[in-house]
Amino acid sequence: MTRRPNPRTTVKDKTIRRVLGFFLLISAVLVFVAVLAVRNITRSVASSDWVNHTHAVILEVDGIFSALQAGDGAMRTYVMSGDARDQAACREAFASVAEHVEVAKALTRGEPAQNAQIVRLETLANKREEFAHDVLGARRADQAETVRTLLAEDAGRGAIREIQRAVEKLKEEEMALLAERDTASYQQAQTTRWTVWSGVAVDFLLLAGVAWLIRDDIAARQRAAAVLQEANEQLEARVSERTAELASANEQLTAENLERRWAIQALEHQLRYNELIVNSVGDLVFVLTKVMNISRINPAVVHLTGREPPELINRPLAQVVRLTEGPGAASAPKVDLLAHALREGRDLRDLPASVEDRRGHKTAVRLTLFPLRDRDKVVGGVVILQIVRPAAPART
Amino acid sequence: MTPKRFANYFESFDFEAHAEVQDPDVFLRGRAGDCDDYAILADYVLKRKGYGTRLIHVRLVGRFAHAVCYVTQERAYLDYNDRIFYRNLERCGPGIREIASQAADSFKANWTSASEFTYEYSEDRKHFGATVVKTDPPEQDPDLGRVYSAASR
Repeated sequence: MTRRPNPRTTVKDKTIRRVLGFFLLISAVLVFVAVLAVRNITRSVASSDWVNHTHAVILEVDGIFSALQAGDGAMRTYVMSGDARDQAACREAFASVAEHVEVAKALTRGEPAQNAQIVRLETLANKREEFAHDVLGARRADQAETVRTLLAEDAGRGAIREIQRAVEKLKEEEMALLAERDTASYQQAQTTRWTVWSGVAVDFLLLAGVAWLIRDDIAARQRAAAVLQEANEQLEARVSERTAELASANEQLTAENLERRWAIQALEHQLRYNELIVNSVGDLVFVLTKVMNISRINPAVVHLTGREPPELINRPLAQVVRLTEGPGAASAPKVDLLAHALREGRDLRDLPASVEDRRGHKTAVRLTLFPLRDRDKVVGGVVILQIVRPAAPART
Repeated sequence: MTPKRFANYFESFDFEAHAEVQDPDVFLRGRAGDCDDYAILADYVLKRKGYGTRLIHVRLVGRFAHAVCYVTQERAYLDYNDRIFYRNLERCGPGIREIASQAADSFKANWTSASEFTYEYSEDRKHFGATVVKTDPPEQDPDLGRVYSAASR
């Protein structure tokens, strides 16, 4: 046997499926946004690293030039002072130049154009270091003329200016790269912001959809509950109405029952009264059925015949009562006359008859028959026997 | 002398930045110095005790460069900033990139490049060797093959 699906359960399942679907979608959007955001953050970090990298290149290039200038200054100071500390400062400054150059070369390993410029700077710096080495050597040897010549030639070459130009050019290119990388970093950050906000907006829209679905489901449930409540109220009203009807019917039945009991009591009373009447009659009374069987007798019959009611009831009347003379008495049985009269619904009055008692002794009686009628139909009869008293002797 | 005991000795030392590397006697007597003084002294002492050591110079964004001494046998580096902690040896892989990343993380900073260097007190000059640049692909790090083959030995 197949069960019909409950519409409310179906609606509920459908709503749950939709809500679950929405939540899956929201989760998918969240995961998608998280993946995108993490990827963008990674890219942002990489962009930021490139910005830092460019700054580092600029710092190293600046470091090269600053150290060169410091070395040059220390060299000239040593030329003037001859102080060993100035010589050490010069050596340290050129060592610092070498360090900055090495780092700058490493930083620009992946950028051939910039790397070539660093290599050129390195060449210029090495030349400068060689020049300083020569000047310092000449100064240590107290060759003032050589020192003067070297410095004069150097002033004419403008070596420091050339290095400065190379540094400026490299810095300009690095600044352009810095602007480019900063823009990339900014765009990465913007993309991350847009991704996150778009994801949040889509999730909010989906959440609004879920809220709408839930609200719709709640409204449907409220409507169903209202319908159910109305049906319950109607049912309760019908139950109350039916209960009232049943109570009324019960009352009526109780009344009818009481009336019937009263009627039965009245009938029993009447019957008893009738029996008293019949029993108090001194004549013999037989109540007969339609087929002339005795159905009832009064005490006078028992008294005269000496027979108890069981001996007479349901026995033919002809066993104890016989017509003795009268019209047609010789040609037909007297009882048949009674049966005939009963069938026709006629009365028979004062006919001679005899009653036989238990010992066979016959008593002369006068018989009267009354048919018993129920509406127009004969249902039996009543035979009354009056004992004939012997006539008193005539007075003379 | 183990790296751990060496590090424990500096627990109460103060931080004091110097442009130059301090002479060991000055550093130990003054009980104050910087990462260069500490790392270079560790390199000097532990190398003589049979440990394989490497000096790593990490350039941080917008800060001073930082120096640490890596001890190959311990697979850890000694950092002057860790001297006050119970765990004064930082467990780390042998690559310059790994050491630089971990050292920069301890400062909550980014790094741009890191170099391996050597230093002799007699010469008082740093000699820079392999330099790793953060933006370069890691597989192109100049120390990659050398360091890991040495570590596996």
